Amino acid sequence: MSILQEIKNAVRSRSIHVSYVDVGSCNGCDIEVLACLAPRYDIEQYGIYVHNNPREADVLLVIGSVTPQWVDKLRDIWDKIPEPKVAVAIGNCPISGCVYNRRGTLTEPPAENYIPIAAQVPGCPPRPTEILNAILSVAPLVFKDYEEKQR
Amino acid sequence: MRSIVYYVREFLRPEWLKKFFFAKTAPLVTPPYFKDYPSRTEKECTGCFSCMMICPAPEAIEVLRRKDRWEPAIYRGHCIRCGLCVEACPEDVLTSGRILDVTRHDGTALRSWYRLQVDDTLCMRCGNCCVSCPINKQVDPQLAGTGTSSSDEVIMRIEGGRVKILHEEKCTGCKTCEIHCPNRAIRVARMVEGVQGEEAEA
Repeated sequence: MSILQEIKNAVRSRSIHVSYVDVGSCNGCDIEVLACLAPRYDIEQYGIYVHNNPREADVLLVIGSVTPQWVDKLRDIWDKIPEPKVAVAIGNCPISGCVYNRRGTLTEPPAENYIPIAAQVPGCPPRPTEILNAILSVAPLVFKDYEEKQR
Repeated sequence: MRSIVYYVREFLRPEWLKKFFFAKTAPLVTPPYFKDYPSRTEKECTGCFSCMMICPAPEAIEVLRRKDRWEPAIYRGHCIRCGLCVEACPEDVLTSGRILDVTRHDGTALRSWYRLQVDDTLCMRCGNCCVSCPINKQVDPQLAGTGTSSSDEVIMRIEGGRVKILHEEKCTGCKTCEIHCPNRAIRVARMVEGVQGEEAEA
Protein backbone atom coordinates (compact mmCIF):
# COMPACT_ATOMS: atom_id res chain seq x y z
CA MET A 1 0.00 0.00 0.00
CA SER A 2 1.38 3.39 -0.94
CA ILE A 3 2.08 6.09 1.59
CA LEU A 4 -0.31 8.38 -0.21
CA GLN A 5 -3.09 5.89 0.29
CA GLU A 6 -2.29 5.64 3.98
CA ILE A 7 -2.45 9.40 4.35
CA LYS A 8 -5.77 9.44 2.55
CA ASN A 9 -7.10 6.70 4.80
CA ALA A 10 -6.06 8.59 7.92
CA VAL A 11 -7.59 11.82 6.70
CA ARG A 12 -10.80 10.25 5.47
CA SER A 13 -11.39 8.35 8.69
CA ARG A 14 -11.41 11.64 10.61
CA SER A 15 -13.29 13.77 8.11
CA ILE A 16 -16.58 12.36 6.92
CA HIS A 17 -18.79 14.99 5.40
CA VAL A 18 -22.48 14.30 5.53
CA SER A 19 -25.27 15.81 3.51
CA TYR A 20 -28.85 14.99 4.26
CA VAL A 21 -31.78 15.13 1.94
CA ASP A 22 -35.38 15.10 3.05
CA VAL A 23 -37.39 13.39 0.33
CA GLY A 24 -40.76 13.81 1.96
CA SER A 25 -40.41 12.81 5.58
CA CYS A 26 -42.50 13.84 8.56
CA ASN A 27 -39.44 15.62 10.07
CA GLY A 28 -39.14 13.03 12.82
CA CYS A 29 -35.92 11.62 11.40
CA ASP A 30 -34.60 15.11 10.59
CA ILE A 31 -34.85 15.94 14.26
CA GLU A 32 -32.94 12.78 15.17
CA VAL A 33 -30.16 13.73 12.73
CA LEU A 34 -30.14 17.17 14.28
CA ALA A 35 -29.89 15.60 17.73
CA CYS A 36 -26.64 13.94 16.60
CA LEU A 37 -25.14 17.44 16.36
CA ALA A 38 -26.14 18.31 19.91
CA PRO A 39 -23.57 18.01 22.74
CA ARG A 40 -25.14 14.82 24.07
CA TYR A 41 -24.30 12.80 20.97
CA ASP A 42 -21.80 15.23 19.43
CA ILE A 43 -21.26 13.81 15.97
CA GLU A 44 -18.28 16.11 15.27
CA GLN A 45 -16.01 14.44 17.82
CA TYR A 46 -15.94 11.46 15.48
CA GLY A 47 -14.93 13.68 12.59
CA ILE A 48 -18.35 13.73 10.99
CA TYR A 49 -19.48 17.11 9.69
CA VAL A 50 -22.99 17.84 8.53
CA HIS A 51 -23.43 20.14 5.55
CA ASN A 52 -26.26 20.59 3.24
CA ASN A 53 -24.17 20.64 0.13
CA PRO A 54 -23.94 17.46 -1.90
CA ARG A 55 -20.85 18.70 -3.78
CA GLU A 56 -18.68 18.50 -0.66
CA ALA A 57 -20.33 15.44 0.85
CA ASP A 58 -19.11 11.86 1.25
CA VAL A 59 -22.21 10.43 2.86
CA LEU A 60 -25.77 11.14 1.78
CA LEU A 61 -28.47 10.57 4.36
CA VAL A 62 -31.77 9.87 2.64
CA ILE A 63 -34.70 10.69 4.87
CA GLY A 64 -38.33 10.21 4.00
CA SER A 65 -40.55 8.16 1.74
CA VAL A 66 -39.86 9.32 -1.79
CA THR A 67 -42.57 11.64 -3.06
CA PRO A 68 -43.21 11.85 -6.83
CA GLN A 69 -41.44 15.23 -7.07
CA TRP A 70 -38.26 13.68 -5.69
CA VAL A 71 -38.15 10.69 -8.03
CA ASP A 72 -35.86 12.35 -10.63
CA LYS A 73 -34.24 14.89 -8.31
CA LEU A 74 -32.87 12.33 -5.87
CA ARG A 75 -30.77 10.85 -8.67
CA ASP A 76 -29.50 14.35 -9.58
CA ILE A 77 -28.32 14.94 -6.03
CA TRP A 78 -26.62 11.55 -5.95
CA ASP A 79 -24.78 12.32 -9.20
CA LYS A 80 -23.49 15.61 -7.81
CA ILE A 81 -21.65 13.95 -4.92
CA PRO A 82 -17.98 13.35 -5.77
CA GLU A 83 -16.53 9.85 -5.49
CA PRO A 84 -16.04 8.07 -3.12
CA LYS A 85 -19.60 8.32 -1.89
CA VAL A 86 -22.13 6.32 0.06
CA ALA A 87 -25.86 6.67 0.70
CA VAL A 88 -27.51 5.73 3.99
CA ALA A 89 -31.27 5.38 4.35
CA ILE A 90 -32.40 6.84 7.66
CA GLY A 91 -35.65 5.58 9.13
CA ASN A 92 -38.34 3.26 7.88
CA CYS A 93 -39.58 5.54 5.12
CA PRO A 94 -36.80 5.16 2.53
CA ILE A 95 -36.69 1.42 3.30
CA SER A 96 -40.36 0.51 3.04
CA GLY A 97 -42.48 3.66 3.08
CA CYS A 98 -43.60 2.77 6.61
CA VAL A 99 -47.02 4.21 7.47
CA TYR A 100 -47.16 6.23 4.25
CA ASN A 101 -47.00 3.16 2.04
CA ARG A 102 -50.75 2.89 1.61
CA ARG A 103 -53.30 3.26 -1.12
CA GLY A 104 -54.02 6.90 -1.91
CA THR A 105 -50.76 8.39 -0.64
CA LEU A 106 -48.30 10.21 -2.88
CA THR A 107 -45.18 8.19 -2.11
CA GLU A 108 -42.99 5.95 -4.20
CA PRO A 109 -40.72 4.06 -1.85
CA PRO A 110 -38.19 2.50 -1.54
CA ALA A 111 -35.32 4.90 -2.19
CA GLU A 112 -33.27 1.94 -3.43
CA ASN A 113 -35.13 2.17 -6.72
CA TYR A 114 -33.44 5.49 -7.50
CA ILE A 115 -29.97 5.44 -5.92
CA PRO A 116 -27.75 2.67 -4.53
CA ILE A 117 -28.26 2.52 -0.76
CA ALA A 118 -25.31 1.10 1.16
CA ALA A 119 -26.80 0.99 4.64
CA GLN A 120 -30.25 1.12 6.16
CA VAL A 121 -31.11 2.34 9.64
CA PRO A 122 -34.59 1.07 10.51
CA GLY A 123 -36.71 2.82 13.12
CA CYS A 124 -39.44 5.38 13.20
CA PRO A 125 -37.42 7.39 14.03
CA PRO A 126 -34.08 5.66 14.69
CA ARG A 127 -32.10 6.65 17.78
CA PRO A 128 -29.26 9.13 17.20
CA THR A 129 -26.80 6.48 18.40
CA GLU A 130 -28.09 4.12 15.73
CA ILE A 131 -27.57 6.76 13.04
CA LEU A 132 -24.09 7.48 14.40
CA ASN A 133 -23.15 3.79 14.48
CA ALA A 134 -24.42 3.28 10.94
CA ILE A 135 -22.34 6.14 9.53
CA LEU A 136 -19.25 5.12 11.50
CA SER A 137 -19.48 1.49 10.40
CA VAL A 138 -20.33 2.01 6.75
CA ALA A 139 -17.89 4.83 6.00
CA PRO A 140 -14.64 2.84 6.50
CA LEU A 141 -16.00 -0.02 4.39
CA VAL A 142 -16.28 2.27 1.39
CA PHE A 143 -13.61 4.93 1.96
CA LYS A 144 -10.70 2.80 3.22
CA ASP A 145 -8.24 2.01 0.41
CA TYR A 146 -10.68 3.45 -2.09
CA GLU A 147 -8.04 4.12 -4.77
CA GLU A 148 -6.45 0.69 -4.26
CA LYS A 149 -9.80 -0.99 -4.74
CA GLN A 150 -10.44 0.94 -7.94
CA ARG A 151 -7.48 -0.68 -9.69
CA MET B 1 7.42 31.87 38.04
CA ARG B 2 6.56 28.76 39.98
CA SER B 3 3.03 28.83 38.81
CA ILE B 4 4.09 28.99 35.16
CA VAL B 5 6.34 25.99 35.67
CA TYR B 6 3.48 24.22 37.37
CA TYR B 7 1.15 24.89 34.44
CA VAL B 8 3.68 23.78 31.86
CA ARG B 9 4.31 20.57 33.75
CA GLU B 10 0.60 19.99 34.18
CA PHE B 11 -0.12 20.44 30.50
CA LEU B 12 2.76 18.25 29.34
CA ARG B 13 1.44 15.16 31.09
CA PRO B 14 0.65 12.54 28.44
CA GLU B 15 -2.79 11.80 29.93
CA TRP B 16 -3.74 15.45 29.72
CA LEU B 17 -2.52 15.79 26.15
CA LYS B 18 -4.35 12.64 25.12
CA LYS B 19 -7.55 13.84 26.75
CA PHE B 20 -7.23 17.24 25.15
CA PHE B 21 -6.58 16.17 21.57
CA PHE B 22 -8.59 12.97 21.42
CA ALA B 23 -11.54 13.89 23.62
CA LYS B 24 -14.47 11.57 23.14
CA THR B 25 -17.57 10.98 25.14
CA ALA B 26 -18.19 7.31 25.77
CA PRO B 27 -20.60 5.86 23.24
CA LEU B 28 -24.04 6.17 24.74
CA VAL B 29 -25.65 2.91 25.72
CA THR B 30 -29.29 2.13 25.07
CA PRO B 31 -31.13 2.31 28.41
CA PRO B 32 -32.94 -0.87 29.50
CA TYR B 33 -36.31 0.88 29.44
CA PHE B 34 -35.95 1.79 25.75
CA LYS B 35 -38.98 0.59 23.80
CA ASP B 36 -37.08 -1.40 21.19
CA TYR B 37 -38.45 -3.78 18.57
CA PRO B 38 -40.71 -6.28 20.34
CA SER B 39 -39.08 -9.59 21.12
CA ARG B 40 -40.75 -12.89 21.95
CA THR B 41 -41.04 -14.19 25.48
CA GLU B 42 -41.26 -17.91 26.19
CA LYS B 43 -45.07 -17.69 26.44
CA GLU B 44 -47.02 -19.52 23.76
CA CYS B 45 -48.86 -17.64 21.01
CA THR B 46 -52.47 -18.70 20.54
CA GLY B 47 -52.89 -17.15 17.11
CA CYS B 48 -55.59 -14.64 18.04
CA PHE B 49 -54.07 -11.99 15.72
CA SER B 50 -54.70 -9.13 18.19
CA CYS B 51 -51.23 -7.79 17.47
CA MET B 52 -51.71 -7.85 13.70
CA MET B 53 -55.10 -6.15 13.94
CA ILE B 54 -53.89 -3.27 16.12
CA CYS B 55 -50.60 -2.61 14.30
CA PRO B 56 -50.69 0.87 12.71
CA ALA B 57 -47.83 0.27 10.26
CA PRO B 58 -48.44 -1.77 7.12
CA GLU B 59 -46.67 -5.16 6.97
CA ALA B 60 -44.86 -4.63 10.27
CA ILE B 61 -46.04 -7.74 12.12
CA GLU B 62 -47.18 -11.13 10.97
CA VAL B 63 -48.32 -14.13 12.95
CA LEU B 64 -46.90 -17.12 11.14
CA ARG B 65 -47.88 -20.75 11.43
CA ARG B 66 -44.84 -22.87 12.20
CA LYS B 67 -45.02 -26.66 12.30
CA ASP B 68 -46.90 -26.97 15.57
CA ARG B 69 -47.24 -23.45 16.89
CA TRP B 70 -48.00 -19.84 16.03
CA GLU B 71 -45.18 -17.33 16.00
CA PRO B 72 -45.35 -13.54 15.64
CA ALA B 73 -42.64 -12.05 13.39
CA ILE B 74 -41.65 -8.37 13.48
CA TYR B 75 -40.23 -6.81 10.33
CA ARG B 76 -37.63 -4.09 10.78
CA GLY B 77 -37.95 -1.29 8.32
CA HIS B 78 -41.72 -1.52 8.74
CA CYS B 79 -42.17 -1.57 12.53
CA ILE B 80 -42.43 1.86 14.15
CA ARG B 81 -41.78 0.60 17.70
CA CYS B 82 -45.07 1.95 19.05
CA GLY B 83 -45.49 -1.10 21.30
CA LEU B 84 -49.22 -1.48 20.65
CA CYS B 85 -48.80 -5.18 19.76
CA VAL B 86 -47.16 -5.77 23.14
CA GLU B 87 -50.08 -4.09 24.89
CA ALA B 88 -52.73 -5.79 22.80
CA CYS B 89 -51.46 -9.34 23.26
CA PRO B 90 -53.61 -11.10 25.88
CA GLU B 91 -50.94 -13.78 26.48
CA ASP B 92 -47.89 -11.48 26.90
CA VAL B 93 -46.12 -13.25 24.04
CA LEU B 94 -44.22 -10.11 23.04
CA THR B 95 -42.15 -7.84 25.22
CA SER B 96 -40.49 -4.50 24.69
CA GLY B 97 -38.92 -2.15 27.21
CA ARG B 98 -41.08 -2.00 30.31
CA ILE B 99 -44.48 -1.94 28.60
CA LEU B 100 -45.56 -5.20 30.23
CA ASP B 101 -44.53 -4.01 33.70
CA VAL B 102 -46.36 -0.73 33.25
CA THR B 103 -49.58 -2.31 31.97
CA ARG B 104 -49.48 -4.81 34.85
CA HIS B 105 -48.84 -2.05 37.37
CA ASP B 106 -51.54 0.26 36.04
CA GLY B 107 -54.00 -2.54 35.29
CA THR B 108 -54.67 -1.34 31.77
CA ALA B 109 -55.92 -3.34 28.81
CA LEU B 110 -57.33 -2.83 25.36
CA ARG B 111 -60.95 -3.70 24.78
CA SER B 112 -62.19 -4.24 21.25
CA TRP B 113 -65.50 -4.73 19.54
CA TYR B 114 -66.89 -4.53 16.04
CA ARG B 115 -69.11 -1.82 14.72
CA LEU B 116 -71.45 -2.33 11.79
CA GLN B 117 -72.34 0.65 9.69
CA VAL B 118 -74.73 0.72 6.75
CA ASP B 119 -74.71 3.62 4.36
CA ASP B 120 -78.38 4.05 3.49
CA THR B 121 -77.64 5.98 0.31
CA LEU B 122 -75.60 3.08 -1.09
CA CYS B 123 -77.62 0.20 0.34
CA MET B 124 -80.11 -1.28 -2.15
CA ARG B 125 -81.80 -3.57 0.38
CA CYS B 126 -80.80 -6.81 -1.33
CA GLY B 127 -80.26 -8.53 2.01
CA ASN B 128 -77.03 -10.20 0.94
CA CYS B 129 -75.33 -9.16 4.19
CA CYS B 130 -78.02 -10.71 6.38
CA VAL B 131 -78.04 -13.92 4.34
CA SER B 132 -74.26 -14.35 4.13
CA CYS B 133 -73.56 -13.68 7.82
CA PRO B 134 -72.46 -16.97 9.43
CA ILE B 135 -73.73 -15.91 12.87
CA ASN B 136 -77.15 -15.14 11.41
CA LYS B 137 -77.18 -18.62 9.88
CA GLN B 138 -76.50 -20.22 13.24
CA VAL B 139 -79.16 -18.21 15.06
CA ASP B 140 -81.88 -18.51 12.46
CA PRO B 141 -81.46 -21.33 9.92
CA GLN B 142 -84.68 -20.18 8.26
CA LEU B 143 -83.11 -16.89 7.20
CA ALA B 144 -82.71 -16.91 3.46
CA GLY B 145 -83.67 -15.13 0.32
CA THR B 146 -84.74 -11.62 1.19
CA GLY B 147 -82.96 -11.38 4.51
CA THR B 148 -86.05 -11.02 6.61
CA SER B 149 -86.18 -12.98 9.82
CA SER B 150 -88.69 -13.61 12.55
CA SER B 151 -85.93 -14.04 15.14
CA ASP B 152 -84.88 -11.07 17.28
CA GLU B 153 -81.54 -12.70 18.06
CA VAL B 154 -79.92 -12.22 14.63
CA ILE B 155 -77.21 -9.59 14.16
CA MET B 156 -79.11 -7.82 11.40
CA ARG B 157 -82.19 -8.31 9.30
CA ILE B 158 -84.23 -6.49 6.69
CA GLU B 159 -87.03 -4.63 8.41
CA GLY B 160 -89.41 -2.38 6.57
CA GLY B 161 -87.29 -2.37 3.45
CA ARG B 162 -83.97 -1.48 5.10
CA VAL B 163 -81.21 -3.17 7.03
CA LYS B 164 -81.64 -2.98 10.77
CA ILE B 165 -78.75 -3.90 13.02
CA LEU B 166 -80.04 -5.57 16.18
CA HIS B 167 -77.10 -7.23 17.91
CA GLU B 168 -73.83 -5.60 16.96
CA GLU B 169 -72.03 -7.23 19.91
CA LYS B 170 -72.41 -10.70 18.35
CA CYS B 171 -70.28 -9.77 15.33
CA THR B 172 -66.96 -11.63 15.14
CA GLY B 173 -65.45 -9.37 12.50
CA CYS B 174 -65.28 -11.98 9.73
CA LYS B 175 -66.32 -9.33 7.16
CA THR B 176 -68.32 -11.85 5.12
CA CYS B 177 -71.08 -9.24 4.79
CA GLU B 178 -68.59 -6.70 3.44
CA ILE B 179 -67.39 -9.14 0.79
CA HIS B 180 -70.93 -10.02 -0.29
CA CYS B 181 -72.24 -6.46 -0.42
CA PRO B 182 -72.48 -5.43 -4.08
CA ASN B 183 -72.37 -1.69 -3.30
CA ARG B 184 -69.86 -1.55 -0.43
CA ALA B 185 -72.66 -0.14 1.67
CA ILE B 186 -71.94 -2.14 4.81
CA ARG B 187 -68.75 -1.55 6.72
CA VAL B 188 -67.27 -3.54 9.58
CA ALA B 189 -64.96 -1.51 11.78
CA ARG B 190 -62.89 -2.80 14.66
CA MET B 191 -63.10 -0.40 17.56
CA VAL B 192 -60.46 -0.41 20.28
CA GLU B 193 -60.63 1.33 23.61
CA GLY B 194 -58.14 1.54 26.45
CA VAL B 195 -59.63 0.50 29.78
CA GLN B 196 -58.28 0.49 33.30
CA GLY B 197 -59.12 -1.13 36.61
CA GLU B 198 -62.10 -3.45 36.96
CA GLU B 199 -63.07 -3.13 33.32
CA ALA B 200 -59.63 -4.33 32.25
CA GLU B 201 -59.91 -7.52 34.28
CA ALA B 202 -63.26 -8.42 32.78
